[in-house]
Amino acid sequence: MFETINIAKGVNVHVNETTQFKTINFSIKFKDKLTKEKASARSILANVLQHSNEVYPSHTALRMVLDDLYGTSLYIDSSKRGNEHVVTLNVETVNDQYLSEKGVLEKVLNLMYIVLFKPNFEHGLFKETIFKREKNAVIQRIESVFDEKTRYAQQRMMELALPNHPASTSSNGTIEDVENITNEQLVAEYKEMVAQNEIEIYAVGDVKPEMIASHIREYFHFKDREGAIAVPPLELVKPEQSRVLEYEDMKQGKLHMAFFTPITFRDEKFPVMQLMNGVFGGYAHSKLFVNIREKESMAYYVSSSFASQFGLMFVLAGIDSKLEEKAVALILEQLEEIKNGNISDIELDQTKALLTNQLKEALDSARGQIEIYDQYMELTDAFEPEFMINRWKNVTKKDIAAVARQLSLEMTYFLSGKEDEKDA
Amino acid sequence: MHKVEFEQLEETLFHEKLDNGLNVYILPKKGFSKTFATFTTKYGSIDNHFVPLGETEPMKVPDGIAHFLEHKMFEKEEGDVFQEFSKQGASANAFTSFTRTAYLFSATGEIDKNVKTLLDFVQTPYFTEKTVEKEKGIIAQEITMYDDQPDWRLYFGIIENLYENHPVKIDIAGTVDSIQDITAEHLYTCYNTFYHPSNMVLFIVGNVDPDQMMKLVKEDQAQKTFEKPTEIKRIYPDEPKEVAIKERVLEMSVQKPKVFYGIKPEKLDLIGPDMLKHELAAQLAYELLFGRTSDFYHHAYENDWIDESYSFDYSLENGFGYALIGSDTHKPEILIKEIKHTLQNAVEKWPFGQEDLDRVRRKKIGFFLRALNSPEYIANQFTHYAFNEMNLFDVVPVLEEFEVVDLQNAFALVSHESQHSVFTIMPKKKDAQ
Repeated sequence: MFETINIAKGVNVHVNETTQFKTINFSIKFKDKLTKEKASARSILANVLQHSNEVYPSHTALRMVLDDLYGTSLYIDSSKRGNEHVVTLNVETVNDQYLSEKGVLEKVLNLMYIVLFKPNFEHGLFKETIFKREKNAVIQRIESVFDEKTRYAQQRMMELALPNHPASTSSNGTIEDVENITNEQLVAEYKEMVAQNEIEIYAVGDVKPEMIASHIREYFHFKDREGAIAVPPLELVKPEQSRVLEYEDMKQGKLHMAFFTPITFRDEKFPVMQLMNGVFGGYAHSKLFVNIREKESMAYYVSSSFASQFGLMFVLAGIDSKLEEKAVALILEQLEEIKNGNISDIELDQTKALLTNQLKEALDSARGQIEIYDQYMELTDAFEPEFMINRWKNVTKKDIAAVARQLSLEMTYFLSGKEDEKDA
Repeated sequence: MHKVEFEQLEETLFHEKLDNGLNVYILPKKGFSKTFATFTTKYGSIDNHFVPLGETEPMKVPDGIAHFLEHKMFEKEEGDVFQEFSKQGASANAFTSFTRTAYLFSATGEIDKNVKTLLDFVQTPYFTEKTVEKEKGIIAQEITMYDDQPDWRLYFGIIENLYENHPVKIDIAGTVDSIQDITAEHLYTCYNTFYHPSNMVLFIVGNVDPDQMMKLVKEDQAQKTFEKPTEIKRIYPDEPKEVAIKERVLEMSVQKPKVFYGIKPEKLDLIGPDMLKHELAAQLAYELLFGRTSDFYHHAYENDWIDESYSFDYSLENGFGYALIGSDTHKPEILIKEIKHTLQNAVEKWPFGQEDLDRVRRKKIGFFLRALNSPEYIANQFTHYAFNEMNLFDVVPVLEEFEVVDLQNAFALVSHESQHSVFTIMPKKKDAQ
């Protein structure tokens, strides 16, 4: 799928030359250790760099040049994977063979260079007004989680269950840390990011790997670097409380449950755990969907998900606040079924078929190709869908029951909406 | 089978209208492993007043019925259709909008079987009082979930403000009360009236051989019997030009106020090429006034009147439409005032010239080409356009013909103050404990 060219120590270019898409996609990923302070600083940095730069000193000027390049999309985001924090410059531009104008690609590559290496400095610091405004923007983004109660409930549960653990650390950092960062600290963080972070550069589209690699080698001047030292994720620590009930003024109750599993992405049983999660609550044929939604008519959404980087499994359901206990009992009953090996051939086959389909489908988008390749790089340097499909194929019901028995329920969090009674 | 080539885009579209009236479109996509298919009826939440098939008197049905019907299509005597798709490695889904109900799947294998399953389940209604009753609990939870989402409440709040009579102002899923009145008989009446093949479009895009696929669909449809196609009589109330409510506030559990400024377009009877031209021209005009390169955006963002949630949109259907501008904001009054000023200034003196047009046109063409990478976008957008007698692949040629005055004229139709309204969500004050 991708051809990899090393251009400096710790800096790789991966290109998938394909005519499947009408556009060319780029991602440049800067990887560092995940801490609250780093996440806070790097989120501001992402915003400041995509706001403007030395050549296009205002937000408007930068956006105008992007519009002129046929609405080339350019944004920088801040994300996490396991104990890594990743700042990604994402760019998508139209392949100019569909346009009357040529030479768009060179202009776009040059713009990417400007965005990363010509920041909007004034006396060696980021322009103060922009620095302040973008700090504020990140704070508002963190605050806005409260408005979306499913996200809010999940965040609350994680803060309570695993405080000070990468699993609960937001990729945007914390309000306090964002507020406290100085302009000088941000400049230092910027310099560290471009000079010392491990960098993965991706290109997908009708482009030649050598051309992209030589352009980046020639213009971007990335120097050798050690990159972040891979630290295995922290151990999961048993939460102090196992059940938490909180209230907000809303109509539906949000039930969130967290389970620990010893199996992570790196474990040989990773594919078994993926199948277990699928049979349990990953799909519309799963036990949770069929029993809690279809049979009991208790919920519109009820599902499980496997956070494989940390060894966590979550169950989420939107239910009437009066039915919390009943829902928890029914959910655990379904898990018990799996532990006892009560899985039908059809359930197993359907789950294998849908995992396969999902993976293949994800590879039909350039962004999907980049994210999957980047994730699996750790396990194989030539990722193809068969790599996972073959591992799912031989998994048996017994294997699934065995990994289900290793799960432990560590936290049940319920965000209830029935505070009205107090109001009167 | 008709074959239409779009040379510059390197796409070929195959089309046939079958004897039973069904429009079938197939767009092969080279290099893709997945196939995406949508089977859509031109029937949505606004079609709540109509003459049932074979009858003469119009009837009104309970709010939320099109969406309820969508849910119930998946349950059959022999079980759940999701199970069938899962067995064949397909992810299935459905959605109901104001004007459409779409059933869809995506799969990377067993495409023939999955297409057959899609056609069969949508063309075999099975409703009983028992299954209808059972669904009410699920949909009540769905409605409650949306009730707690401030962004959805904000969107519906502004639409209720804009429209006095038109059923677009009714929530697509109805209310927990309104769905209690739905019966299996209602579902059959709606199904028989609106799910005739002549009121539907099948769109298949992806890794398919068009000849073989068209043959499969034709044979499937030839084996099934349908009534003769008849024209569906839908009844919509008269809608005044002015907005229904100028201003309204709702309190919710949010951390900061949210505002939508809404505008009701003046001409709501457009269809076909006129509609395409007006919608695109108005979208470009709004891009210039409120897009990320506009003076408005610059001032509003740098002064912290808007944040990353800021959005604007111009959308048109036959019978209704809206322009919306909004954001989470600590300064709702200032933001509303600034939007008003921006619109007022553009009415008094149109501030844009050729260079501005060229820039937003390029942006729009780029957006369109990017979107063509997505089978989902193509299938959904194409169907939406087809129901309004427009062709998705005309977008680029129409954009290329625009002159500045076209944008100005489109803007003039949505600029009168009596067509404007504001909806705000304010944080609920916490009572002292």
